Parts: sequence; structure tokens; C-alpha cells
Amino acid sequence: MNAPLSWLELRRAKAARTFGDIGVPHGRAEQWKYSRVHSLVEAETVKNAGLVRWRTETSGSVDCFDLSSGFGVPEWVVSHLGSQMRVDNFDTASFAFASGGPAIRVRAGEQGQAKVSFESEGQARFLIVVEEGGSLQLIETAWCESDLQNIGAEIVLMPHSRLDHVRICPKSNDAIQIGASSINIGAGATYLAHFANFGTKLSRTDLLVWLEGENAKAHLSGATLLGESRHADITTHVEHRVPDAESTQLFKIIAGGKSRGVYQGKISVAEGANGSDSRQTAKGLLLGERAEIDLKPELEILADDVKCAHGAAVGDLDPESLFYLRSRGVPEAEARALLMRAFLEDAVAEIADETVRADVWSRVEAALAEMSA
Amino acid sequence: MLEINNLHVAVGGKEILKGLSLSIAAGEAHAIMGPNGSGKSTLSYVLAGRDGYEITSGSIRYRGEDLAAMAPEERAAKGMFLAMQYPVEIPGVTTMNFLKTALNAQRRARGDKEIDALGVLRLVREKAKALHISEDMLKRALNVGFSGGEKKRLEILQMALFEPTLAILDETDSGLDIDALRIVADGVNALRSPERAMLVITHYQRLLNYIVPDRVHVLYAGRIIKEGGKDLAHELEAKGYAEIIREAA
Repeated sequence: MNAPLSWLELRRAKAARTFGDIGVPHGRAEQWKYSRVHSLVEAETVKNAGLVRWRTETSGSVDCFDLSSGFGVPEWVVSHLGSQMRVDNFDTASFAFASGGPAIRVRAGEQGQAKVSFESEGQARFLIVVEEGGSLQLIETAWCESDLQNIGAEIVLMPHSRLDHVRICPKSNDAIQIGASSINIGAGATYLAHFANFGTKLSRTDLLVWLEGENAKAHLSGATLLGESRHADITTHVEHRVPDAESTQLFKIIAGGKSRGVYQGKISVAEGANGSDSRQTAKGLLLGERAEIDLKPELEILADDVKCAHGAAVGDLDPESLFYLRSRGVPEAEARALLMRAFLEDAVAEIADETVRADVWSRVEAALAEMSA
Repeated sequence: MLEINNLHVAVGGKEILKGLSLSIAAGEAHAIMGPNGSGKSTLSYVLAGRDGYEITSGSIRYRGEDLAAMAPEERAAKGMFLAMQYPVEIPGVTTMNFLKTALNAQRRARGDKEIDALGVLRLVREKAKALHISEDMLKRALNVGFSGGEKKRLEILQMALFEPTLAILDETDSGLDIDALRIVADGVNALRSPERAMLVITHYQRLLNYIVPDRVHVLYAGRIIKEGGKDLAHELEAKGYAEIIREAA
């Protein structure tokens, strides 16, 4: 057995012990009160979930490594994988029990594109490293038909690097889907991420963002569209650990049928992190009386000189706007779809790449057509 | 074209229109004048089919059909257009996209061929020029951040684009300075033709200097209390509503 593997096994064993202690979130866990996972998943199921099937396509200057292979583990994987473990039920589990997953890297000053799709139930660890001054465009799709999918991602953005990340979760009525990401953003680096989520039986996207260097930037946005009895929960925790970093969040949720949409967003500004600029907006649009949207913003500010703004609101489609459009000849269903699209407009507009944005729009429009029919 | 017969309309259980009758033939322009609270806006909304405006008795026939049975979009497709007093702001929908969507929805409903994006753009640009509507306004979100005058001009642009058979203008003059008023009135007058009818609803006589009506009706407390030719507007301006109401009582 070579050295890196034993190193990895040590970290995994530690994670397994931690998971043994904490297990799956229990019924009273505050952070999981809108996503009652304990009644759907047992600790044993998580341990034995097996490995997810995935595919990776890259272009430009991207190095790939399959974490399932025990030999020839590159140095960049050794130095980053599991280096900043957090204690989180599913994130810990994916590290401990997933026997593999994709790892991708862009070297300093280089550029690349990657498409990664997770296509089955099971677990995987996903490592993304963008070295100093490098940039990566990543399109990630995560879907499974049923059972549990648990992807734990570690994203390391070294100083002055950039990651444009779009994560798409197509709908799935029977799957339990967890995506827990830790994002470490160095000085002057930018993380621009969009989450397009169409819901599963229970879907949780957990984003832990560390702004680790001055002028680090995180811009998170998302469009969640839920019909029937699907569920989607986006929980973020953005930590301003140093002065002069910037974060924005713009999440929109449309819920129809008996669906449930959740956004929980916590912003922490550490002591001494002066000059932090943090904005957070979450808006929900309810399409029926049996749908539910829960928005929970949370601020924890320990520095003095900071700019923090947050807003959260849930409403219905504006009847005045609907009447205006109809009085101009737009049929009701079309007018509703147009207003729903308008509701999501600024969140989807955050996607920088035109082609990717168009792809997300076409998925969103297909979901809207279904929901307004 | 439009036959309103003994119309009673309630809003939230309260009767606002109390036996209004009005008849407008093709080619005619009528004005409805009245003080605040007389029921002017209620009339415009009930004609356009807004929810919450309940016809408790009487009837409205438009081009021979029962208007109450038609959805708002159906009325629009059949050539009715209401220029609203307070056009709605819709963030996230560009003005141009809205115009294209609405125009083609109407055409589709009438069984006409839809016009492609370029064709609509050409059409809109041509009409916008006369109304001093800039390219920039068309790119912005619908009515968002528009001044009062810009919103009114955009209503008239829609009217020019949709070429309605019956145009209803609800307080189109409010909030307009004299230059904007002239631009708007020119836009309206350009559409006057023997096939079309207009109903101009206004508090003040001012607009009627530019859009000269064939008939003027004075609305008060939900009824037409006086009717006359275009001179009635001047009489109202001279005497004030109070005296006309006293005379009619």
C-alpha cells in the first residue's frame, strides 16, 4: 500500500467515526426542520449507498483524476482532499463511505471547461481545485431516479482564480438527493454559482462558503421550480472570515401543487472582518394553497464596519400584472408563464455564459409550461 | 359597436354604476366626463373585464356579442383596447418582448399569421418614432422606471400597434404636460377612422381640445346625467361639475 492511500484511509476512518457519532440528522435538528430526512433515510442506508455513476467531459487545460483509483494519486489531490473537513452529517458520510468520485484541477494561470454529470443513486466525493489565476467553467448535473444520492464537493479556489459553476438538478419524484459543498475562496478569487433545481422527493443543497482572502467574491444565485409534491431545500452559510470580501445571494423559488421550497441562508461576519459587503435576497412565489415556501435568513455579525442587507418575501402572482397582460390579449396560461419567467429573470441572468444561460432557460421554460398548464 | 344598457356594477358588494346606458357607433368618438368617484374607472375596468367588477343587472353588447361572457384576452383579440390610467410595471419582461407577445397572441386568436421578431421590431420602431419613444425605453422592463408621461405614451404605442376597433382611454391626460398631451392626442387622432370607435374618459376638458368628441356624456353617481355635443365639454369647464349636477337634479 502506498503512502497517499494510507493518508486517505486515515482521513476516511476519522470521518467514519464522526458519522458514527452524528449519523443522519434527527427529527429535532433545527437546520433540517423543513427537510425531514430522518424519516426517509437511515444511517445504515447511507453507509451502504455504494458509488454513484458519473461522467466527466473536459476541454481546455483541465486535469482529471478518478478518486476510486488507489494508485498514482497526484499531489494536488493529496494536499486538498479532505483537508478542511467540516462536521456535517452527509458531507462527512460522503467522505467516509464514497469509494470514489471525480477530481478536477485547473493549473495556475490556465483555463478550462468541464461537464460533470452524476447519473445514479449512491455517493461520491467531488474535488475541484482551481490554482492561482486559473479559471474554470463547470456545468454539473445531478440526478437519480430513486433511493439516495449524496455528493460531497470540496471546492478550492486559490488566489485570483475564478470558477463559474452551474449545478442543475432535474426533477425526480422518488429520489433523496443531497449535495453538500464546501467552497474555499482565496484572496481576489471569484466563485460565481447558479443552482437550477427542479426538486425531488427530498432535495437538499448545502453550501458552505468560506471567504478566506481579501477581495474574495462569492455570487450565488438559484432558481427553484417545484410542482406536484416535490421538495427542494437550499441552505447556505457564507462566512466572511477576512476583511473586504464580498458576497451576494439571489434565490428564487416557485412552488405549485403540494410542493415545498426552502431557502435558509446564514451570513457570518467574523470579528475583524471589516469592510465586508454581503447581500442576500430570497423570494418565493406560491402557485397554490397546498404549496409551501419557507425562507429563513440569518445574520451573525461580529465586525463593526460592514455592509449587510437581506430581504425575504413570499407572494402570489400579482393579479394587476396578470390582468394587464390579459387585457392586451395574452391568454391567461401564457400570461402566468410570462410572469413566472419574469420572477426568475434576475436570478437566471446571473449566469455569465450565454450558452449555459440559454440551456438553463430552456429547462426553466419547460418546467413553467408544465406548471402553468 | 358598443351598446350599454341600464348597466349596474358592484365592486366589493357596493354598487358603483347604477343604470348606465350608452351607445357608440363605428366612426364615432365619445367622451365621458365626470368628477372623482362618479364611476369612470369602474366603467373602463368592467369594459376590459377586470376581476371583482360584478355586473348585477343590465347588459353590454360589443359588436353584437355579450361582452360579459368574454375573457379579457378575448375582448382584446376582438379589437377592444383600454389605455389604462395606471399602467402596471412588470419587472423582468422587456417592453419589446411584451409588445411582441401581446401582438402575436391577438393575431393567433384571430387566426392571423404571427409576425417574427424582426417584423415586430420594424413595426414597433415605426410607430414609436411618432410618439417619441426611444429605443432604450423598448429595451427596458415594461413600465419600470418610466415617467408618468412615458407610461401614457407606451399605452398609445400599444394602441397604434394593435389597431383596435374600440379604444377606451381612461384618464390618458392625467400627469401629462402640454407637449406630451399633444403627442398622445396626435397618436389617438391618427387612428380615428370610420371603422373605429373611441371612448375618452376624462375629468378635464383639456384633452378634448385635441381629441374632439362627437358626443359628450356627464357621469355622476353611476349614471349619465347629461349628454350633448362637443360644446358640453366647454360648458362643463366654464360652469364646473357642481352646477351641471344641480341643473340635472
